[in-house]
Amino acid sequence: MKYYLRLGFVLLVITVVASGILAYINSLTEPIIKENQRKAKEEARMEVLPEAVSFDSISYLNEEVIYAGKNNEGKLAGYTFVASLYGYSSDVKTMVGVTPDFKVNKIKIIEQTETPGLGANCTKPEFQSLFEGRNETVMLVDKDGGEIVSITGATITTRTIANSIRTGLKFLKEIEVQSEPEEIHREEVTE
Amino acid sequence: MSVIKEFTKGIVKENPVFVMALGLCPVLAVSSSVENAIGMGAAATFVLVFSNIFISLIKGFIPRKIRIPSYIVVIASFVTIVDMVMEAYVPALHKNLGLFIPLIVVNCIILGRAEAFAGKNNLIRSIFDGFGMGLGFTLALIVIASIREILGAGQFLGYNVLPATFKPMLVAILAPGAFLVMGLLMGLMNLKKK
Repeated sequence: MKYYLRLGFVLLVITVVASGILAYINSLTEPIIKENQRKAKEEARMEVLPEAVSFDSISYLNEEVIYAGKNNEGKLAGYTFVASLYGYSSDVKTMVGVTPDFKVNKIKIIEQTETPGLGANCTKPEFQSLFEGRNETVMLVDKDGGEIVSITGATITTRTIANSIRTGLKFLKEIEVQSEPEEIHREEVTE
Repeated sequence: MSVIKEFTKGIVKENPVFVMALGLCPVLAVSSSVENAIGMGAAATFVLVFSNIFISLIKGFIPRKIRIPSYIVVIASFVTIVDMVMEAYVPALHKNLGLFIPLIVVNCIILGRAEAFAGKNNLIRSIFDGFGMGLGFTLALIVIASIREILGAGQFLGYNVLPATFKPMLVAILAPGAFLVMGLLMGLMNLKKK
C-alpha cells in the first residue's frame, strides 16, 4: 500500500514540475508570439492590398478588424478582412484583400494546420492566385459547380477557403452598401 | 557494442520505419513530398536526441512501474517547450516545421527509444542512438517521399524532373500510395535480408 502511494507521489511530482516549467516558459514566450502574429498580420495586410498606405478599421469579422485601405491620394483603395472557417483538421484563416468593387484582389493564408502534403498545399502561391479577381458569385470550388480547381486530395480545405471568403465578401458588401455607422457583429457561419 | 554501432544501427539494420515499423502515422502523412519529409525528419531527429538525453539523465529517479507515464510527460513537455520557444524566437523556422510538431508528440519512435534504449543506457550512447534513429527515420521518409513525389507529381523537391508528356499517377501522392510504396520497400528489404 505504502509503495503504491509512493508511486503516485512520484508521478505527482513529475507532473507538477513539468506543468510548472511549461507555465513559466509559456509566460515568457506568449507575449513574443502574440507580437509576432500581430506583425505577420500587418505584413499580410500590406501584401494583399499593396495600393493602400493607411488603414481605418470599419467593423469586425471573425474577431478580427475589417479595414478600409486608402491610397496615397486619400481615395478608397479597398478592404481587408480575415476569413476563417474550420477546414479538415484546423481553422483556416485567410487574409483577403478586396477591391472597391468587392472583388478579391489577393489572398494570403495566414493560419492553418491542415495535413502536410495535402491540405497544407493551400499556402502555395499558385493556389492562392486562383482566387484573384473573383467576386462572391464565382467564389465556388469545382465540386460545387464553380471554377476554382480543388487541391488534389484536399477538396474540404479548398471548399473551406472559398466558403469563408464568400461569407466575408457578402458581409462586407452588406455593411458597406448600407453603411451603417455602428459596429455589426458577425452571425454564425452556416453552410 | 561501440558508440559508432549505436549510431549506424538505426540507419539500416534497425531502421525505425522499415524494420521496426514504428512511427508510421507521420510517415504516411508527410511523405507526399521530399520537402515535407526533410522537415519532419529534422524535427523528429532533434526531439529524439533531446528526449533520449533527458530520459537517460533522469532514469535513475523514476520507479520502473511508472516509467511509461513519466516518459510520456517528459516527452510531451519537451515537445511543447520546443514548439513555444521556436514560435517565439525563430518564427520563420516555426512556419515550416511547426506543422510537424503536433505529429511528433504522437510519434511512437520517441517513446519507443526512451523505453528500449535511453531508459537502460548511459548518456553518450543514448545521444548516438537518438541521432542514428533520427537519421534512419529521415532517410526512410526521403526515400518514400522521393518515389511518391516523382510518380505522383512528376517533381522532385518541387522541380519538374519528368517530361511534360508524363501523366502523374495521382494515387501515389494520396494516402493509398503511401501504403503501397512503404509495403513494397519493406518487402524489398526483407527479400535482401534472406
